[in-house]
Amino acid sequence: MATGTAVSLQNVRKTYHLGEPVHALDGVTLEIPQGTYTAIMGPSGSGKSTLMNLVGCLDTPTDGTVVVGGEDVTTLDDRERTTLRGTTVGFVFQTFNLMPRLSALENVALPQLFQSVGRSTRRDRARELLERVGLSDRTDHMPNELSGGQRQRVALARALVNDPTIVLADEPSGNLDTDTESDVLDLFDEFYDAGTTMLVVTHERHVAERAERIVHLLDGRIERVEELEDAGRESNATQNRRDGVDGTGAASGADR
Amino acid sequence: MRPLEFGRLAWRAIRSHRLRSALTTLGIVIGIAAVIAFVTLGASLQAGLVGDISPDDQRNLYGWAADPDTEGGPLAGAQPVFSQDDLDAVSERDGVDAAYGYMPISTQALVYGGELSPQSDALVAAGPPYIRPDTLEEGRQFEMGEREAVINPAVAGQFEENVSVGDELTIALQGGQQTTVTVVGITETSEGLSPFEGFEPSPRVYVPTDPYYTEEVESATGGVGGENASENGSSAGNGTVVGEDALFLAIVVQAESADDADVDRARESALAYLESEDSDTSELLGDELAVTMQTSTELLQQLQDVLDLLQSFIVGIAAISLVVGSIGIANIMLVSVTERTREIGIMKAVGAQNRDVLGLFLTEAVVLGIIGAILGTALGLLVGYAGTWYIDIPLVYPYGYVALAIAVGILVGVLSGLYPAWRAARTDPIDALRYE
Repeated sequence: MATGTAVSLQNVRKTYHLGEPVHALDGVTLEIPQGTYTAIMGPSGSGKSTLMNLVGCLDTPTDGTVVVGGEDVTTLDDRERTTLRGTTVGFVFQTFNLMPRLSALENVALPQLFQSVGRSTRRDRARELLERVGLSDRTDHMPNELSGGQRQRVALARALVNDPTIVLADEPSGNLDTDTESDVLDLFDEFYDAGTTMLVVTHERHVAERAERIVHLLDGRIERVEELEDAGRESNATQNRRDGVDGTGAASGADR
Repeated sequence: MRPLEFGRLAWRAIRSHRLRSALTTLGIVIGIAAVIAFVTLGASLQAGLVGDISPDDQRNLYGWAADPDTEGGPLAGAQPVFSQDDLDAVSERDGVDAAYGYMPISTQALVYGGELSPQSDALVAAGPPYIRPDTLEEGRQFEMGEREAVINPAVAGQFEENVSVGDELTIALQGGQQTTVTVVGITETSEGLSPFEGFEPSPRVYVPTDPYYTEEVESATGGVGGENASENGSSAGNGTVVGEDALFLAIVVQAESADDADVDRARESALAYLESEDSDTSELLGDELAVTMQTSTELLQQLQDVLDLLQSFIVGIAAISLVVGSIGIANIMLVSVTERTREIGIMKAVGAQNRDVLGLFLTEAVVLGIIGAILGTALGLLVGYAGTWYIDIPLVYPYGYVALAIAVGILVGVLSGLYPAWRAARTDPIDALRYE
């Protein structure tokens, strides 16, 4: 099990100029060790989305450094950032964001298409992941033929297809009903137990409580970091499997 | 990312909007179909006409007198100005092998074995060399001064019983007189033997100018001379005479060989005489008329020039259609880029490079262009085929243009897809993912 650092933010600042400067992130320092499960909570405008975009290599900070999978994002050009994003980050969105004209299988295989992986290899890998998320009988269905929970499971499979360093989930259960939500979140737990690094942005407490720790953002700063001792975890089996994971990963919310 | 993958995804996108894609490519289809159809027709027409000129015909010069300003093909505005004396004189000239008159004679009907077949303009009076040996299927040329005729298959097959060499045929002339000919030869095809007749197949009886035309003139004019007749010669029942002599509508001068130099020599020599004081023709030409003397190839060249002009015109219109088609593709691609902003965001989030997105949309535009080109080519060839079938000429497919059409389709796709694809590639993934 890897014990290195998946993502590291050092004194990160992101400023938007909308008439007057707005500090979406105002000096954030955060370490996310590999194999950990982190939730980020905060009200609207607290900087959650900006943080996601930075960790997801979609954006660059105005100040400070962002290191993802060992690479300093601020030193990379657009093309290199795209490559890094494709290979080390997996995205799960609130609105699923599946390609409407591609089947479940093709959606899962899509990221590898851009890594020039051969078609048959791609499809084998996608089929394997769909099986793991319990959709082996839905591989050829189009997104509009799938339920919300199924779509989110396809999205999770897609996020995992390149064996990413970190999976970023932005309100992953925001569009799901309670039952489906717990199914999908159970699946998150399952992959976390298998060693995947998880970063979930949510404003719902019960979703956040599935993580090892909750980072609370407020006005672009880390308000506090809450360490959870298996709160909200239900399965003992899951817990047993977790025992090998270094759950004490150092998290420091620095504030100036 | 591989080109094949681009194609697969582009095809998927195009297929999901069938009607829209079809309408988008319509401009390209029409443009390319127009070019291909006309080029096919042009090439077929050319092949059909040039194919009709036999090597033996290359030494023949076809001459007629008309107002120099008259536009049109062979015999356009022709006046009968060539007398037998002049013809005889021309055939004696340097470089001239033979010269004879040409005169279509109006008819009412052909009669064979008691069977009557109404037929106008079936009779062509000319000199024996007019029937070139290579055009004869069986029999021989008619002889001057004999009541003999060579017929074409259209005449031979017109009656219940086929007319064959040795049979007698009765011809009812326009004036009501009847004349009888002995068939001595049958030609290979029913197409015209010279540009004077046109190229479309029609029943024809070829006879010597003497006795048939001379008799015709005598009976029509009652032996009275009518000088400076200005009737259009193609409706020849109204032949004219100078003194006792019949005037011919046209002259055929045969050079010593098909060599360009020999042909030119014969032409100059014949023209020099016809325009000199010694000839009856020069007198009849007056100030308004001039003699045109050209080979079949040269006459066809005029037709070819007209055809080329028409073709340039069509290509011009097609080019406009292609420009409009390109704008259509560009427009629909821009709509498509906007519609799929979110998809672009997704692709970029999962690792698509700018060039992947660019390639994807460019491929889509190119595929549209190629589809338009293929459909346009198919449609054009179909129209060309129908056209050649309708006017009954051999079909020649302009393969070079088919390749060109596909190339144009690709080019149109690239040009019209470039800007939309660039816009797509430039899309910011953060904004795109938020796009509703």
